[in-house]
Amino acid sequence: MYWMVATSLKTELEAANLHPTPWPHVATLANYEGLFGESLPFALFFANTVGTCLATAVVAVVIATPAAYALSRARFRLRGAIAYGVLLFRMLPLVVLLAPLYLLLLDARLLDTRVGLVVGFTTFGLPFAIWMMKSFIDAVPIEVEEAARVDGYPRLQILMKVVAPLILPGLLTTGTFVFMEAWNNLIYPLTFVTTLERQTLPAALVLTFTGQFKTDWGGMMAAATLTTLPLMIAFFTVQRSIVRGLTSGALAGA
Amino acid sequence: MARISIRHVEKRYDDVVALSDCNLEIGDHEFIVLVGPSGSGKTTLLRIIAGLEHVSGGELHFDDVPVGDVDVADRDIAMVFQNYGLYPHMSVYDNMAFGLRRRKLPSAQIDENVRRTARMLDIESLLARRPRQLSGGQRQRVALGRAIVRDPAVFLLDEPLSNLDAHLRVQMRAEILKVHRAVAATAVYVTHDQIEALTMGDRIAVMHDGRIHQVGTPAELYDAPIDRFVASFIGTPAMGFVDCRVAGSASAVELVADATRIRVSPKQAEALARAGGDRITVGIRPERLSMIAEAETERIDVAVRGSVEVVEMLGAELYVHLSTAGGSLTARVPREQHVKVGETVTFGANARDLHLFDHATGTALK
Repeated sequence: MYWMVATSLKTELEAANLHPTPWPHVATLANYEGLFGESLPFALFFANTVGTCLATAVVAVVIATPAAYALSRARFRLRGAIAYGVLLFRMLPLVVLLAPLYLLLLDARLLDTRVGLVVGFTTFGLPFAIWMMKSFIDAVPIEVEEAARVDGYPRLQILMKVVAPLILPGLLTTGTFVFMEAWNNLIYPLTFVTTLERQTLPAALVLTFTGQFKTDWGGMMAAATLTTLPLMIAFFTVQRSIVRGLTSGALAGA
Repeated sequence: MARISIRHVEKRYDDVVALSDCNLEIGDHEFIVLVGPSGSGKTTLLRIIAGLEHVSGGELHFDDVPVGDVDVADRDIAMVFQNYGLYPHMSVYDNMAFGLRRRKLPSAQIDENVRRTARMLDIESLLARRPRQLSGGQRQRVALGRAIVRDPAVFLLDEPLSNLDAHLRVQMRAEILKVHRAVAATAVYVTHDQIEALTMGDRIAVMHDGRIHQVGTPAELYDAPIDRFVASFIGTPAMGFVDCRVAGSASAVELVADATRIRVSPKQAEALARAGGDRITVGIRPERLSMIAEAETERIDVAVRGSVEVVEMLGAELYVHLSTAGGSLTARVPREQHVKVGETVTFGANARDLHLFDHATGTALK
């Protein structure tokens, strides 16, 4: 982490030195200026990434919550099988889904679009989100829900008015994890997106900074710093609610 | 206001039978208590009345209308849960108003109802608080308030006092009865505590192993238990039992177990003759036994000899646990009586205070 930040502040010559210096002799912001300069649409990459990852987090949580609720509360025959089936998807390596997803997106004319990327990210984030949400819903005392049923509320409203507020820390935590995972996903954007202007940051880093004859280490590290920063901010903001979310059983009325 | 009629209700979970052939008629505005040890099916029956569980067999009627297919929301019931089941994210006020809002009452009316109920339960000052900021007794009141604020036809309570300390429990018992008198609802109250049942119920249904053993007023259950289970479950300290042999002539039947001799009344002798068999279980309530001198044994109907196992001191009186040849008995004696552990003593009783049970089936002889 330190190395990344330190290198990003070095001049091109110092960054490429065979005997690396522990701190920059001459600190410069030139690498950062370069990012926002005319040559590379860094701000656009940044917006692409934030947009697609945020959309993925929201879509995943919105789909996962009712699914997790059903798996947690409803009693039906194949419940266990479905729950573990969902988990099984999670165990597949990322690349196994690559080819089928590519063909699906091709058919849906969503290749090389940001929407297509969200679909790709979501397929991989969803199983995890469902399992995580399920554990949060499991922790809500069933009596609280039964009280709402006695009070006359139908299931969907109980989910929205009683369960959702109680698992809010869980929703945030799950959303953040999905967000971070999508952010770090390199192979999907590299495969599904061909136009550089629609590319996400991690993929763009790879595509633009590693050249055939020369690698701009300083510039790459500057970009990497800016790529990591939002992730860290996201993590530290929800850190407290992650802890709270994991102990949300303590919210019980009893 | 509603009459509840439970007819041949059964409940099975896969292979496990939770309830079998339960029958119970609950009158309008009655306060009925379902009592039994844990696992007896009392909570399951309550949840069936609530609509939170479906029956596997039999029928449930409210005012002669079958409600088997009626959803919880449409049964006009309110329920107090064992762990209260308060909404943790809402204030006390919102907890109470939540059900009223669903019914789309005007907010002025909701406000009036909530405040009136809060006044009645003395929780007005807590309305802005969250459940986690309340003590156990206060949560209990809020749970009660949430149930009665809706003015339901049926009021269901599932062991509502089990999480409170002994002192608070006695206080809330009176409170709940006061509330029941103030509202028009029929109340079904589940507890494993027979003292709660005796002190609160207009009538009591004693349950065991998924069956209703006996339904009756507290006095009926205490004076005429239908079988050995009800006899031992109702009353503290519990009724003692002695297994005896039937002996003597037809005109003077005696029950014998080693040094224990019992002369039964003519009515009891008839019952014994009808039942047949030569073994019988005799039940005697602790307060019916009194210590007698050896010389008196011939004059009295019932003379039980045994050795003192344990003496419990309860302030005004002593509980003397006695081991006899046929079984163990407990006697309640005044504190002045001198009883030492290990000594052999004789207790006497009247024949009319005996409860006779079939030795094999445990049912009371009539």
